[in-house]
Amino acid sequence: MPPAIIVEHVSKEFILRHNRAMGLKTRFLSVFHKNKREKREHFLALDDVSFTLEKGEALGLLGHNGSGKSTLLQIIAGILQPSKGRVITNGRVAPLIQLGVGFNPELTGYENIFLNASLYGFLNKEIKRRVKSIIEFSELEHFIDAPLKNYSSGMQMRLGFSVAVNLQPDILLADEILAVGDQAFQDKCLNKIAEMRRNGMSLILVSHSQEQVNMFCDAFLLLDHGQVVHRTK
Amino acid sequence: MPNPIAATFRPYWQYRDLVRNLVIKDLKVRYQGAVLGFFWSLGNPLALILLYDFVFTHVFRSDLPNYILYLVVGVLHYNLFSQAVSQSCESLTSASGLIQKIYFPRILVPTSSLLFTLVLWVVAILILVVLYPFLGGIYHWGLLLYPLILGLYVAFIWGIALAFSVLQVEFRDLKHLVDIALMFGFWSAPIVYDINVLKPPFLEIISMNPLTQFMDLFHALLYAGTLPALNHVLIASAWTLGAVSVGMVLFRRKARHLVEDL
Repeated sequence: MPPAIIVEHVSKEFILRHNRAMGLKTRFLSVFHKNKREKREHFLALDDVSFTLEKGEALGLLGHNGSGKSTLLQIIAGILQPSKGRVITNGRVAPLIQLGVGFNPELTGYENIFLNASLYGFLNKEIKRRVKSIIEFSELEHFIDAPLKNYSSGMQMRLGFSVAVNLQPDILLADEILAVGDQAFQDKCLNKIAEMRRNGMSLILVSHSQEQVNMFCDAFLLLDHGQVVHRTK
Repeated sequence: MPNPIAATFRPYWQYRDLVRNLVIKDLKVRYQGAVLGFFWSLGNPLALILLYDFVFTHVFRSDLPNYILYLVVGVLHYNLFSQAVSQSCESLTSASGLIQKIYFPRILVPTSSLLFTLVLWVVAILILVVLYPFLGGIYHWGLLLYPLILGLYVAFIWGIALAFSVLQVEFRDLKHLVDIALMFGFWSAPIVYDINVLKPPFLEIISMNPLTQFMDLFHALLYAGTLPALNHVLIASAWTLGAVSVGMVLFRRKARHLVEDL
């Protein structure tokens, strides 16, 4: 069986542009004002990171703020392109970087399910087949035809989470988010994740907390300044 | 399916319902809470026709027969261009929330923005369909070509929309410049006037405008009731090919690193 994710010598360099001229006015001013001129700084967010995640495994990415773990997650999700190296994924990847991407406050919960799920590459007829279980999981049956702007933030997160987990991804990429809502709903989320893991889903979890990683992951990578400084296993 | 063309388009085809859902979302949000809802998009062209009819039969007079039809055909088609191009500038920058959080083919963002404009415009053009015989329009077999010509025009606009959507990300003044340029654009194509009244060098300058070619096609079909001249069709096709190639090349080059600039 091929691995779920292969990350090969991935580096990512950002060019930080201080005082970047986004418009005509700043471009014009920079001719006269030295301190308004654009300064470029190269910043290596990831430095030669490699790992392999087998099907069904769960890997934690630990590190301080700015250590590059979220950048790595964005590269695996295909949102960012690596400067060097490459990433190979096998199976359907569901990034859970933010819950309810694309949610529109004017649309109803039901309409937002379709909008959100289609961003993951699902067709409406596939979403229709899952919509009942999505609504059931979110426990929002009474509110599903109300516009999202009338939802509490907790309700919106519950809906977003329900969509993501009911799309049956092969690989879940989670940025700190594994459970939302009140205690009862959080337990339900964690049970759902555990069930999906048993069914062979691979998981990458970005976290600050060693405890959270120990609870969910078989192994972890510790990142510091874009480099892997420690790995288990 | 070992077909290379099908293989190229499959990733986009997979996301077809995303485009549909984005367009429906825009339509729903636009007419949120308005009692007459969708019917408002009929209001604008109707007011336009009535106003022109009044002004150009009672205030000014034109030598062109059925001048109102000439004007309305030109203005409606120019509106499609100007609305789509103006909106395309902000299509990517306003979708940054989606682009930074999830991967999907980025080209679908300006494309769905164009389709949204097109849907509203098709509704608006229904007014013209109803009033067409009253304004002096002629029914003829050549009208069957209209969808093809419109398709060519929309493809031309799509190419420009792709280019402007990525350029706006790096150069945020573009939208303001484009909005002003569109006002000049209106007068740089034969919409209000007949191109044959121009004298050199203006005739040559105006003929260089790609919109002039498209206006000639629409005027021939919908106003004069004739088939468009073949050389106009060929020139318009060349412009479309050029716009689509430039737009796609620019978009492909810039889209890879789009997220970092948003």
